[in-house]
Amino acid sequence: MLLARLSWAYLKKHRLRWALTIGGVALGVAVLVAMRLANQAVVASFHRTVEGIAGRTQLQVHAGDLGFPEEVLERVQAIPEVAAAAPVIEAALDTGLPGQGHLLVVGVDMTGDRSLRDYQFESAEEALLEDPLVFLAQPDSLIVTREFAERNGLRVGSRIPLGTAAGLRWFTIRGIMRPGGLSQAFGGNLAVMDVYSLQHVLGRGRRFDRIDVALREGITLEEGQEALRRALGPGFEVEPPSARGRHFEAILRSFSLTLNITSVFAVLVGMFLIYNSFSVAVAQRRTEIGILRALGANRGQIRRLFLGEAAVAGLIGSGAGALAGWAMARWVAGYVGRLMQEVYGVAQSVESASAEPGLLAAGTGVGVLASLVAAWVPAGAAARVDPVQALQKGRHQVLSAGEYRRRGWLAAASACAAALLLARGRSLGSFYAGYVLAILAALWWTPALSRWLARASRPLLAWLRPVEGALAADSLLQAPRRTSATVAAVMLSLAMVIGFGGVARAIYESLVEWVSTTLNPDLFVTPNAQIASRTYVVPAELGAEIERLPGVRQVQLVRSARIPYQGAPVLLVAAEVAKLAETVHRRPVEGDLEEMYRRTAAGEATIVSESFARLRGLRKGDSIELPAPKGLLRLEIAGIVRDYSDQQGTLLIDRAVYRDWWGDESVNVIRVYLAPGAQAAEVKREILERCGRGRRLFVLANEEVRRYIFRLADQWFGMTYNQIAVAILVAVLGIVNTLTVSITDRRREFGLLLAVGGLRPQVRRTVWMEAVAIGGIGFLLGLGLGAVSLYYSLEMTRRDLAGLSLEYAFPLELAAWLAPVILGAAFLAGLGPAEAAVRGSLVEALEYE
Amino acid sequence: MSRTALFAWAVAGALWAQEARQIVEEAQRRSRADSERYQGTLEVIDARGRRNLKRWTYQRLGSHGNSKAIIRFTDPPEVRGVALLILNHPERASDQWMWTPATQRERRIAIQDRSTRFFGTDFSFEDLEERDVNQYEYRMMGEETIEGAPCWKIESRPRKTRASQYSHSLLWIRKENYTLARIENYVGREPVRRANYREVQNVQGIWTPRLIEMHDLRRNSRTLLRLERLEYNVPLKESEFTLQALRRGS
Repeated sequence: MLLARLSWAYLKKHRLRWALTIGGVALGVAVLVAMRLANQAVVASFHRTVEGIAGRTQLQVHAGDLGFPEEVLERVQAIPEVAAAAPVIEAALDTGLPGQGHLLVVGVDMTGDRSLRDYQFESAEEALLEDPLVFLAQPDSLIVTREFAERNGLRVGSRIPLGTAAGLRWFTIRGIMRPGGLSQAFGGNLAVMDVYSLQHVLGRGRRFDRIDVALREGITLEEGQEALRRALGPGFEVEPPSARGRHFEAILRSFSLTLNITSVFAVLVGMFLIYNSFSVAVAQRRTEIGILRALGANRGQIRRLFLGEAAVAGLIGSGAGALAGWAMARWVAGYVGRLMQEVYGVAQSVESASAEPGLLAAGTGVGVLASLVAAWVPAGAAARVDPVQALQKGRHQVLSAGEYRRRGWLAAASACAAALLLARGRSLGSFYAGYVLAILAALWWTPALSRWLARASRPLLAWLRPVEGALAADSLLQAPRRTSATVAAVMLSLAMVIGFGGVARAIYESLVEWVSTTLNPDLFVTPNAQIASRTYVVPAELGAEIERLPGVRQVQLVRSARIPYQGAPVLLVAAEVAKLAETVHRRPVEGDLEEMYRRTAAGEATIVSESFARLRGLRKGDSIELPAPKGLLRLEIAGIVRDYSDQQGTLLIDRAVYRDWWGDESVNVIRVYLAPGAQAAEVKREILERCGRGRRLFVLANEEVRRYIFRLADQWFGMTYNQIAVAILVAVLGIVNTLTVSITDRRREFGLLLAVGGLRPQVRRTVWMEAVAIGGIGFLLGLGLGAVSLYYSLEMTRRDLAGLSLEYAFPLELAAWLAPVILGAAFLAGLGPAEAAVRGSLVEALEYE
Repeated sequence: MSRTALFAWAVAGALWAQEARQIVEEAQRRSRADSERYQGTLEVIDARGRRNLKRWTYQRLGSHGNSKAIIRFTDPPEVRGVALLILNHPERASDQWMWTPATQRERRIAIQDRSTRFFGTDFSFEDLEERDVNQYEYRMMGEETIEGAPCWKIESRPRKTRASQYSHSLLWIRKENYTLARIENYVGREPVRRANYREVQNVQGIWTPRLIEMHDLRRNSRTLLRLERLEYNVPLKESEFTLQALRRGS
């Protein structure tokens, strides 16, 4: 009843603030739900594709993306426990059809594949199942799904273009599959081709990606796995199809973590808005609370009044946010899917993000809970309002000397504990506990530091405008509780900005160094449109052809692909290390560059990326075992370098070792260094003209590759930039709210000022200066806490996110850029409250007098 | 049942088994030729009566259980050149490779896939293998007349060493010339394929059915294989039955 009467009256009076509060909760929940749904949609889509293609497959034999020689198939088929074994190649190819993107082409052997997969054809093409002779005899044969056919107006006999190793080629549709089973994989953008034709299309030689296996009746999965492992040796992975999903999730891990951080950040922003709005509400309704308390309302009732309001706001905001999140999810999922394809080369087709009632309910629950938690402190403050103080305006903002001392001790204790945990703590828990304690220490110290800085700024403010400056500084000093709350908000937001921005800058600078030292050839020749993609390969002889061209000084052959290492995919880069040693002079993290190149070129060691080593606790001198078709390749880590080719880690081995252990001669990138005086454009034209005929070939200039990498980095940091923008917005909102409270509290003061002859411009300037001063103090403290936050953020990046030990460098440019932004934002935030101060009713302001 | 009756039953059973095996051995002996060549016409008639025609050439070197054969498709044009190499072994299932000229690739057809239909016909890959007498156990089931010809009816069951999609088969062998009149293949108790051997002619002293009609009983479709320009004991070389020869298209 109380809630209905009092709250409704206040709500009607402050519709905008309530709308903002509900909007804040809605935003937080929407981002949380959208991120979770999108993440689930991406993973579910991948699982759907895997399951759709797997059919009755019980086990899959693979050796990472590099595949293995065809002979392995006969070894698998000869195992008594195996009932059926069929080779498979999968690749996402450009369709060349407008708006259709990639088509996942699954290469199978139709003579035996039906024992593993259901090909449900349209009735007219059933004969294709039974008589695959024409399908097999004609290498341009393709079977597509009905969905894809309908979308593109295709029927049996229609022809579509596909990007092949020999350039764009036309393929004939010889069958159309009905929906369901295999057809539902990859969102219906799926085609089936003869596996041997697909080898030819991709230029892969006599290799398969994997072998799908069905076991004889009565053989358990474990028995089958054991038999296959025994027969094939340790160089192969033998796993159920679901394991592919786990590998994908491992690739997605760091991105999922970013999404989770964004979600948590969004909820925190929502909580901050709730906290701020309720703090303002408590300040504005202090008199009302005082009267209620004087009339007999107890503390519990007051607390429940505010918590009830928070619950209602939380429920409305969360409900709306959950629905908005669902609407946003598809877009986010599409974005994530595209990013997965571009950054990781993992084919993705996210067709929908389904509304999961459990997740929507959980999102709503989190929103309501977050609202209650955020409103707890203001509600508590409201409950503690002294009826007498409530009628003495301004008294409640004062902090006693004892309170300063208590906070000081708490801050000192938290800071000491944080330092101790940092110095001695070994576990992840102690590290994060130390981070939280460091933030708490900063929060406990904020009132004292704010007061000190406000006092220090008084001469400056008074020098600028003797009357208004002094009034503004005094206002800050007289209401330390109010001032410190906003300063804390600005400080926390800025600390976050400095942390995020500092990490982004450190990674960016490290990336620039990596690109400059490692990706320094003049030209990159590749059969793939993007340097990160590894779908197509070319024969090694192409390198020799290019090397003979005028203007070419040296070529370096590279074959890279993901291989499984201890259950997670890592990037294997096989290159001509002796040649790399001449051209790539990178700064090692561990080891001597010359020695590591020499030993790796000799085939006795490997150079690993820092992320590979750190995420697995490996050091220089440790030995690792890599699964290869020939067996387990044991190599010593000769050195650790910084490398951004893959987030899960990169291993560099010599090409000769690769050829020997993987039995593969193909390459996917040819690094070309030009002779002095040669023109890159001219050599590029020569390569395309002399070597590109009848071949799918892209020649990328160094600048193009650099641009591509930095574009990917920008995409990757896109969310960080958004977080920075939101953090700044939160800081601004904090200042607006604080000044609103300040104006409410000081209406009497401003009224008096105007009554004794003060001018409206003077009042305006006082509020403006107060706003800018709060911004300035928050900014300075934010820089301090930001310096600490950056340290912890870099440690988090090293320990949890990427295994990168980035150098600590305070982002001075960012700080310099933020100074006018925050001060300007603070000034803008003060405009509204300043107008409210000069336009308020003088009679109302002085009614207490 | 008395001990004497049981003994008499067992002896009779053994004698019948012996007799059944001898009949199959004799049939195999009479059809033996060092090599064989013919041009085959395959006509597939599905359950709806739709017809599909293919032509091939067939060459075989060696015989029963230890032979090599190559099938090359000659018609229709889109499958011309596709070839199949079959290496039959007496002690185990055959090895088969298929050659597709457009991709210039051969592919091995796995043992587990031999139950699948042979390129849209009602023959399975296994049906194309030659049956060797030693790979089966036999039992005499009596006598019956098939299409006017008196026949022995014999049950054959694959030995453990012989992987087969069929649990057992019933063979009808003409008494007149020891040629096959019919084979009915079973999976459990269900008959799944029935082959009728017709138009028996004496070719170079060997009685040979010139028309084989394979009936897929589950799909209710039929395939007629007509043997034309059939020759036995033609001069063929071992080197023509290798993967290299398959690739050469010789």
